Amino acid sequence: MSNVAEARLLSKWYGQVIGLNNFSIDVPKGITGIVGPNGAGKSTFFKLLTGNIKTNVGHLRVLGEEPWQNPALLAKIGFCPDYDFLPPDLNGREYLRFVAGLHGMDSVRTATRVNDVLGIVNMVKDADRIMGGYSKGMRQRIKIAGALLHEPQLLLLDEPLTGTDPLIRKEMIDLVKDLNKVHGHDVIVSSHVLHEIERMTHQVALIYKGRSVASGDISEIRRLMSDHPHNIVLEGRGLVPLAQTLLTKPYTSSIELRPDRMGMNVRVDRPEEFFDSLPELVAGTGCELERVESLDDDLESVFRYLVG
Amino acid sequence: MSFNLIGLRTVAAFSARKLLMNRRWMLVMLLGALVALVMGYAATEDGANMDLASDLMVILLLAFLLPVLSLIYGASMIRNEMDDRSIVQVITAPLDRRISYLGYYIGLVMVLCLLITVVTVIGGLAFLMFSPERTGGAQLIITFIALQYLGVMVYSALFLFIGTLIKQPIYLGLFYIFIWEGFVTSVPGSIGMLTIRHQLQVVGSELTEFGSIAWTTGDWAVSILALVVVTAVLVLAGAFVFRQEEVA
Repeated sequence: MSNVAEARLLSKWYGQVIGLNNFSIDVPKGITGIVGPNGAGKSTFFKLLTGNIKTNVGHLRVLGEEPWQNPALLAKIGFCPDYDFLPPDLNGREYLRFVAGLHGMDSVRTATRVNDVLGIVNMVKDADRIMGGYSKGMRQRIKIAGALLHEPQLLLLDEPLTGTDPLIRKEMIDLVKDLNKVHGHDVIVSSHVLHEIERMTHQVALIYKGRSVASGDISEIRRLMSDHPHNIVLEGRGLVPLAQTLLTKPYTSSIELRPDRMGMNVRVDRPEEFFDSLPELVAGTGCELERVESLDDDLESVFRYLVG
Repeated sequence: MSFNLIGLRTVAAFSARKLLMNRRWMLVMLLGALVALVMGYAATEDGANMDLASDLMVILLLAFLLPVLSLIYGASMIRNEMDDRSIVQVITAPLDRRISYLGYYIGLVMVLCLLITVVTVIGGLAFLMFSPERTGGAQLIITFIALQYLGVMVYSALFLFIGTLIKQPIYLGLFYIFIWEGFVTSVPGSIGMLTIRHQLQVVGSELTEFGSIAWTTGDWAVSILALVVVTAVLVLAGAFVFRQEEVA
């Protein structure tokens, strides 16, 4: 079995609302990032993978099995949802014991595994505190610990970085990478921020409006994005000579200089070439740049481009 | 269906703990105090005896507290967990959902039996404390506790099922308790027998000689059988519905 999950022409709708639409994807072993804006269908995909909901049309196999009404499969899957469901009156250790009970683990194995996973997610120190007092980062860690407890082959992490501060994000990204490299779990992790996923894995799938619009190596996706015409804002002093030079370049489509000459919007067909040549152009024209920003770096515009 | 006994025990214990930690215990204490107050006050009236105690227990406990507590705790048990999505932990564990449902049912029955016992003992003792006649009091308390345990089994199965089946179970539950049981029981003829309360009273008529409950007509063995069958059917139906349910 080369893929941990395979979906073929999968559709799922809730009444009039479409969650996934003719969605096809192959998820290989290792870490796979599912990237898409809010409402794209990422959580629906996870719910289908765990058998919480059933498909309306299409085929889905997880670790070679159908997930709907298949509790035995759940012994091989660990799921960490994007929402908060932790009982606030329990401490972290009690919660993990509860999860272990649901997985049918005996007391000896439970004691060992609880300590193991608390160590993996770096929560040993706070394990005996009531979870109602946990920070967002701690809650995410305990949720991941709960998903890891029964040593699943496949971990599903739905938006694990949401609501965490930059420091915690870095730690969580390192944790997700370790879960694969050190502990050997296959991981499917979702986010609406591409560069966060990029720091975890090169294997990504982009979802937009319930469809898989691109999947594969991140460099391939980046190449697709590079072909996408970009709008770039430049701000600084002495921009007129730079604008004149840029107009001679084949990758420049148009330039709109602001009346105060302190800023301009440049539309380029091949942003990679533009960014590669920019330092030389700046040096050559003697302008002083204070701001360079691509307006099309947000996912929404990339997705709009990818789906035509 | 794979059987995960540790999982079943975990769901039962955890759901029971959750029910007991819920703030609804304040309501239960309030209702318990009301029962104690009414029974204590009634015991001070002229002619208070065990017949009066029995009649009060039928009205306060069998007809009111038992179904209302079962509704309050049972109808919201799984439904609330679905609504706040805390059920995700149970439904993503390798535990057959029918087993999980049985765990919820056992947890509910354990909690209701505990609450019913406390309230019945407090109410019974309040009566005995002020009543001039106390002979048979302890036996009456035990009889009503046993009768209510039987009732807890059926009402829990009913309201847990309704709570799993529909999103607003309280209204249907209230309709059942106050319209169906409250009204139909008083209708003459065989239709009046089609309530849980009536069947419990038939069983009660065999267990006590105090009060009007002792004069309820019917075959107690058939009533017990009917209650057990209804319970089993409701638990199985609830487990089936829970298994089929999509939890978004």
